Amino acid sequence: MTTQMHKQLSLQELKQRRPRERLVQLTLLLLALLTVYAWTCGDIHVDDLDLARRAQNLERFVHDDLAPYSLRGQEHTWTDVGAWAWNIAVSRGLEGALQTLAMATVAITLSAIVAFLLLWCAARTSATSHPYGDGRGSESMAWRVLRLSTTALFVYLRAIPEYIWAFLLVAMLGPSAWPLILALAIHNSGILGRLGAETVENLPPRPLLALRSLGATRTHIALFAATPGFLSRFLLYVFYRYETCVREATVLGMLGIASLGYWIEDVRTKRYYDEMVLLVAMGALLVLCVDLLSAWVRRRLRHSS
Amino acid sequence: MLALLCLGALCAWWLDLTPSGLIPREGGVRLAGQFFARAFTPAWDYETTPPDGTPPLVLKALEGARRTVVFAAAGMSLALVFGVVLGFLGSSAWWPQRVRSSGVGPMVWIIARSIMVAMRSVHELLWAVLFLAAFGLNSFTAVVAIALPYGGTLAKIFSEMIDEAPRDSAVALRQLGASGTQTFLLGLLPRALPDMWAYAFYRFECAIRSSAVLGFFGFETLGYSIKQSFENLQYGEVWLYLWTLFGLVVMVELWAASARKRFVA
Repeated sequence: MTTQMHKQLSLQELKQRRPRERLVQLTLLLLALLTVYAWTCGDIHVDDLDLARRAQNLERFVHDDLAPYSLRGQEHTWTDVGAWAWNIAVSRGLEGALQTLAMATVAITLSAIVAFLLLWCAARTSATSHPYGDGRGSESMAWRVLRLSTTALFVYLRAIPEYIWAFLLVAMLGPSAWPLILALAIHNSGILGRLGAETVENLPPRPLLALRSLGATRTHIALFAATPGFLSRFLLYVFYRYETCVREATVLGMLGIASLGYWIEDVRTKRYYDEMVLLVAMGALLVLCVDLLSAWVRRRLRHSS
Repeated sequence: MLALLCLGALCAWWLDLTPSGLIPREGGVRLAGQFFARAFTPAWDYETTPPDGTPPLVLKALEGARRTVVFAAAGMSLALVFGVVLGFLGSSAWWPQRVRSSGVGPMVWIIARSIMVAMRSVHELLWAVLFLAAFGLNSFTAVVAIALPYGGTLAKIFSEMIDEAPRDSAVALRQLGASGTQTFLLGLLPRALPDMWAYAFYRFECAIRSSAVLGFFGFETLGYSIKQSFENLQYGEVWLYLWTLFGLVVMVELWAASARKRFVA
């Protein structure tokens, strides 16, 4: 009996002493309320789920719109469908896919360069009066302003979605590959800059401090000590963003730039939904391939670091 | 790194990119000038007289922001359902040894994994385009378009987190005689849960951006107003919407960052 009492008490005590965080609880509560609100506030019309009509739409879509146009209304075998798909894939899909890849590559290279140049101004350990020190000692106003403004710049760059940047840039630069590349590069340099700065902050400070006290300049330390230390980590992030870049590059083409999305938008406005679905599937395949490639590269990078 | 630079240069050459492409034509210069001149002086009221009965511009921007959040939250809640179900089925820790060797487990595992990949590989805007063609414009289209790719991503990350969570408490529970389900729910899941929450919150931030962009396809979020005002050459209004979106994203990001620190710690 006594042992049972003891056990009950301690369980209660344990429960009272469990770690609780106000903010976490509040966050979960707020998110739950937000979800309930989102579904009930009337912007999402529940009667839109009028299934009979939707089903009708869907049936029309699947039966009428999805059949290959050239083969509609006649007997056809799967070989014919295959030939039709192959034709489209070679005539537009392949070129679009290659363009998409190339633009994403240029964009990620650009943003890696920009982020690499800027992140030294944003990292808390390098952008102070006494770099790689223990954080004590006076700090001049200029460094603080530089650091905060670079950080704010990164935040601004990544807060606006690529699609909106691209939409604005297309109007200014006209439909070349540049708006797409710049839009991707702007957004991703914001992200890579922050991730890179965090990596620099997490570098072991002792060796860098030792070099500093030996008289090495900031540039020397950054180039010859810090960079080798954080490069493989940084490249990990670059490849992680590369996947996203390819995904986005596909879609940004819908604004009239010759990536895969251009052809998707092209057939969408013509209402050739049969070809649209095929091209969307090609886009998915492209993303999947890049995903696999990047996963492989990242695994190698992780092993080498 | 060097290889990446070379590859980038090669691609640039293949695309025929020249720096001269960066210099906009005359019309473009004028447009850019007019547009960026308004960056720090966004319009606080309509630049042309609106029809009677339209709410003030600031309210319209806030309403757009509210809708953006509503679509993002609804999409995310659905994505969480997909993510949890598929993530559990797609993690190898979920399947007990007995089922794993019988052949049913691996089958379901492979199916769950392929569904995840299919959901994730199609961009949310492409899902939106597909659904617009199949179902027409309605609010569920936007919600599902966000929910599918995000659900796939959540499922992938969740399954990895469950598989990589520390196993010690699960092993201890198992040795005390807990059943497989009990071990999973009480031993393994609580260890992975903080990471899962933190990641889901981060995706919510991304969902807000996606939801804003879906506006360009006719759903009434912030993107809708941005597109409309830009095409009417009302750049001050565009900037007001842009700053609203910026404020919204930064607010959620700060919230997420401070919550994440406590989730994971």
